[in-house]
Amino acid sequence: MPKLTRAEFLKMGLAAATFPSLLAACASGPKKREVNFFNWSKYIGKDTLANFTKETGIAVNYEEFADEEEMFAKLRSGARGYDLIIGTDYMMPRMKALNVIDPYPPGALKNLGNIDPKFRNTPFDPENAFSVPYLWGTTGIGYNKKLAPKSPTSWKDLWDEKYSGKISMLDNARDCISTALLLTGHKETDVDDAAFKQVREVLLKQRPLVKQYTSSTYMDGLVAGELFMSMAWSGDVLQASKENPQLDYVIPKEGSYMWVDSLCLVRGSQNREDALRLVDFLIQADVAADIANTVRYATPNSAAREKLEPALKKDPRVFPNKEVAARLQFHTMLDPDTAQLWNDTWSDIKVGA
Amino acid sequence: VTTAEPPEKTTQPWTAQGEGKISSWLSWLVGGKQPAASHLMLAPAALWLLFFLVIPVTVLLAHSVAQRGPYGAIKWAFTTANFARALDPKYLPVLLRTFGYASATTLLCLVLGFPVAYYLSFYAGKKRETLMIMLMIPFWTSCLVAIYSWIIILGREGLLNNSLIWLGVIKTPLTILNTPFAVILGMVYFYIPFMVLPLYSSLEKIPRQFIEASYDLGAGAATTFLKITLPLSLPGVFAGCILTFVPCMGDFLTAEFLGGPKTYLIGNLIQNQFLMAQDWPFGSALTALLLITLVAGLFIYQKIEERELENA
Repeated sequence: MPKLTRAEFLKMGLAAATFPSLLAACASGPKKREVNFFNWSKYIGKDTLANFTKETGIAVNYEEFADEEEMFAKLRSGARGYDLIIGTDYMMPRMKALNVIDPYPPGALKNLGNIDPKFRNTPFDPENAFSVPYLWGTTGIGYNKKLAPKSPTSWKDLWDEKYSGKISMLDNARDCISTALLLTGHKETDVDDAAFKQVREVLLKQRPLVKQYTSSTYMDGLVAGELFMSMAWSGDVLQASKENPQLDYVIPKEGSYMWVDSLCLVRGSQNREDALRLVDFLIQADVAADIANTVRYATPNSAAREKLEPALKKDPRVFPNKEVAARLQFHTMLDPDTAQLWNDTWSDIKVGA
Repeated sequence: VTTAEPPEKTTQPWTAQGEGKISSWLSWLVGGKQPAASHLMLAPAALWLLFFLVIPVTVLLAHSVAQRGPYGAIKWAFTTANFARALDPKYLPVLLRTFGYASATTLLCLVLGFPVAYYLSFYAGKKRETLMIMLMIPFWTSCLVAIYSWIIILGREGLLNNSLIWLGVIKTPLTILNTPFAVILGMVYFYIPFMVLPLYSSLEKIPRQFIEASYDLGAGAATTFLKITLPLSLPGVFAGCILTFVPCMGDFLTAEFLGGPKTYLIGNLIQNQFLMAQDWPFGSALTALLLITLVAGLFIYQKIEERELENA
């Protein structure tokens, strides 16, 4: 084999380096049709996306997150390439303020009429511009009937020293601070020092009993018996209870919060048309019903409600009855200063200060 | 100190005339007789440092003196408030705890890793490569997969508890997951290759004649180890300790999944600022302080070592 001189070698390297860009130049034919969809984990039907691709020929690159704040951090740090995301109501002001999402073009969705009018003109999106409701649910207590000696009925059960080391709390300011405010008899809009002193006291008192602050692994803990009870999101527990009948979910007597997760268009998306097509598909009655049947969250889609499994439709843990619904409220949209106060307080609770 | 001059001076390429100008410039660049060639060879490493060290650290430091705007937006106005906040005594327990966990992990890695490295270097013989690969396999596994495996092993109805119950050692399952023990176990598991490899490489470098000479001169196994092998392996011990301790100080995954509120480390606090509290400036200030402390520590260590070398 002839020996290469160093100069020849470098020239070859230079040629090799330019080669892929030549290839790329040749390949720029018609654009591939695809949507990049960033969703909560376990938050879609088994064949939903495959069916969409079959029907439209549009490929879906599907990615899941287990923590909404992390999703937001990823988007705002400039992660490119997502076209469609799921955002909870309380994220809307932030996502709008930091220019992460775009409004829907008017008239782009033909199935929009399926959405229950109760979920339109909401405080988080008064003009119905930025969000299309996908699923809704509640925050409550998930527990293992076999292990918890008595079924919890009150938030205070999560403060019971009997369960020290056997409970978990959701790892976010939104759920924990709002519950602490509720328990100390305050409103979500209260920002005075006295209120927050009490919030700190309540949460710090509970801290030694908490095995883990987690939004992503508490289901594993409940199933495995590591945890007796957890602050939980309704559908997570009900999904798992299909496999493990020992798991149950309750909305505490003091009341709690409900929330709506919506489909949002990511600003700077390269596949807007295909993303809109996917949104329109996801809010079709039968598709939305199949998703709700799978993930055990409530659907804001009135057309889909007719097609739900009867057991799910009648389940008061999913669709609370009048008496329970009276104890539920939506989260208030926080102004930036209050949001900061909540986040800083939560950061301090985690530190233990 | 004098810098070495190139042994011969050729004509400068840019003085060359006419059509040969570019080619002679190129041949000067890659020809290898002039420093330019060595600069070119340094380019990949220099670019690496620029993109993965200089730029990120600069961005980090810029954020650490910026202000937090509405909803966590960055406001580019100078402030030292983030550093003042980072030095708040309420974070001291977190810092001390992190230092404790990192030290304990380093110590355990040393105690467990030294015999392994010793065996690999002196006794493993033909099995050495196989054993090395076995040591490295966990290191190549995805961190999250490894953590979830540990959750399965350490759980209430996990492999460990079930085995202990089956053996009759315990009657009711022990709580292992989300305890300090689980965190230390996870950290030792992740970082022990960082200890064993430098130890192995320094043990490997010890001339075997020294050890034979020691035996020839009548020293026993213990004396030989304490007077010859151990002192000569000290560079490996220090390198291993630094390579283990430094990443341990920044660890957050192990504490997050295998630990609980009682094992909240500085890495968790920093992660919380970036991902949850949306307070990037404060998170950057905490990171900068951690970085400065570690770099200062390494610098002092290096100075002490240099002085010892001079005195030796």
